[in-house]
Amino acid sequence: MLTTPNIQQPDVFYQALIQAHQGLSPSESEAFNARLILLLANQVGDSNVLLSCVAAAKP
Amino acid sequence: MWALFLGQRRMLTMQTSTYQLPQFAFRTPPELGLKPSQQKRYPVVVVGGGLGGLTMACDLAHRGVEVLLIDEDDTVGVRGASSRGICYAQKSLEIFQRLGTYSRIARKGIEWSIGKTLAGNEIVYSFDLAAQSSHNVSEQPPFINLQQFYIEWFLVDRLAQLPAADVRWKTQVTRVTQNADRVLLDLECPDGAYQIEASWLVDASGIRSPIREGFGLQTNPATGEDRWCISDVRFKHKPPIERWTWVEAPFNENRAVWQHLMADDVWRLDYQMAPDSDPEYVSRTDVVSDRLRRQFGADIEFELVWVGPYSYRSHVIETMRLSRVFFLGDSAHVMSPFGARGGNSAIQDADNLGWKLAMVLKNTAPESLLDSYHAERHFAAQQNVSITNGTMRFLTPQTAMQRVFRDATIALAKRFEFAQKLVNTGRLSSPTEYPASPLHCGVGAGLNIANCALTVAGQKTNLVDQVARCGNKLVVLCLLPADQASVLAQLISHTDSVECHLLSATDWYDPQGYLAERFGISAGLIGLLRPDLHSAGTIATADLSQVLTRFSLKKDR
Repeated sequence: MLTTPNIQQPDVFYQALIQAHQGLSPSESEAFNARLILLLANQVGDSNVLLSCVAAAKP
Repeated sequence: MWALFLGQRRMLTMQTSTYQLPQFAFRTPPELGLKPSQQKRYPVVVVGGGLGGLTMACDLAHRGVEVLLIDEDDTVGVRGASSRGICYAQKSLEIFQRLGTYSRIARKGIEWSIGKTLAGNEIVYSFDLAAQSSHNVSEQPPFINLQQFYIEWFLVDRLAQLPAADVRWKTQVTRVTQNADRVLLDLECPDGAYQIEASWLVDASGIRSPIREGFGLQTNPATGEDRWCISDVRFKHKPPIERWTWVEAPFNENRAVWQHLMADDVWRLDYQMAPDSDPEYVSRTDVVSDRLRRQFGADIEFELVWVGPYSYRSHVIETMRLSRVFFLGDSAHVMSPFGARGGNSAIQDADNLGWKLAMVLKNTAPESLLDSYHAERHFAAQQNVSITNGTMRFLTPQTAMQRVFRDATIALAKRFEFAQKLVNTGRLSSPTEYPASPLHCGVGAGLNIANCALTVAGQKTNLVDQVARCGNKLVVLCLLPADQASVLAQLISHTDSVECHLLSATDWYDPQGYLAERFGISAGLIGLLRPDLHSAGTIATADLSQVLTRFSLKKDR
């Protein structure tokens, strides 16, 4: 799992993420996030990396 | 009451049945006229004439082990007609090839390889197993659908042809005890009560096994809240011969539906019901008929063959061997029916245990070989329960968040191929592999080996038939005569429990090169093939002596 910076344009990504949620109800936002997680997971692919990310995201 | 799906001895409703089932004759057992001192001890007694028990008895009899099968009923299936397993996986079909029932299954059953999963009216996932390399090596197809009682019926017929097998119908086991060298069974039949002795007992008496309960073994049972209603239907309408699963069916209030063809032109339709629905109501003929019309159209003509509401249950026994008693099939493990893992795993339990018991009874292998039955098949049971639970979570989300991810998966699957892999309406039964088996000898240990085509002495044959001809032996596969010579030299000091074959035109010719590739055999390396067509590992030729003690006793000097 990468923990050093890897996002090319962090501010651009973050802003796009926030904007995508604008106007969405909490349940729509939840559904959006779920779709996004699955799409991103497919970009990662590697099982160990995915499981490490799931573990690292825990509060 | 919702009936439990697997191992249920009497289903709740049985509205109509168009099946004619055989009735087997009860014969007075010879023990009734004998004093205990005149009675013999059976090498193996199997209790329960269901899928697992019949496969076990047939397997042992094929291996030359005298076996007595005891069943409380006098027919196959669950009293009268039944609606139990329908899908038989390639590994099971290979086992039936060895046991001599495969050709009847192939003639009677429905071969299929295409599956589709739908949400609404859209196909969100489809597959063709015949196009997958993991399925197209074998001489058997990926799946055949057939009502379970036919599979059982063919096995009973086969047992009647095998001199080593004896079947006792209408016989109840009332008590089982064991000591260090034998198992004692109290039996009750229409002619009275009697006792028999066995060296080993296989309990295949189903979900509520009185033998398991008598020994006080725990199973950690769990019941599902999900409610389903099976409707087996014959109709003129001919849907494609494919496995269709709806994760959200518009004609079933957006709940799941299964649609699959069996023999005799009967379709298995299985509908997910609302959690609070009433089992009597959902299985009423008019209600079932309305559901069918919603699915196939108002003018559909059909005949109801069998209707049964059920709910899921799972359990895994704490140990699959208790000294001289082995637990097999539903007695040991029960899971929800997704992926056809129940029946197929019972068949594989029997396949796993048969050769081990045969080798030990024939004094060619150490008794410790039997320990691997629990290690391998308990692992398989836990894996199967875990996989079917995953399907259950997808089909019946337990929390709001599970629902959110399921909806996201379905939405993405309609647009992108990757998400189709996440749609889970059942992961079809595949042979369990045993990476952590105590019989692990080398690289690739536990891998399943498919029934590939072989040419032997100019004749086309296959791996199943050739391994069966070797009898109860570990088969060593090598590529070079030098390796074969080394193997034979190492076998001299051991009992007759290992056979060596050369993968070449002079011995076992493997036209696809499948075996050498699957095992990774090359000069100086040999593959160890178990009688159940799993690998025991690929090892350096010189290391054979070291691992042989697991499969072979040393000869007395």
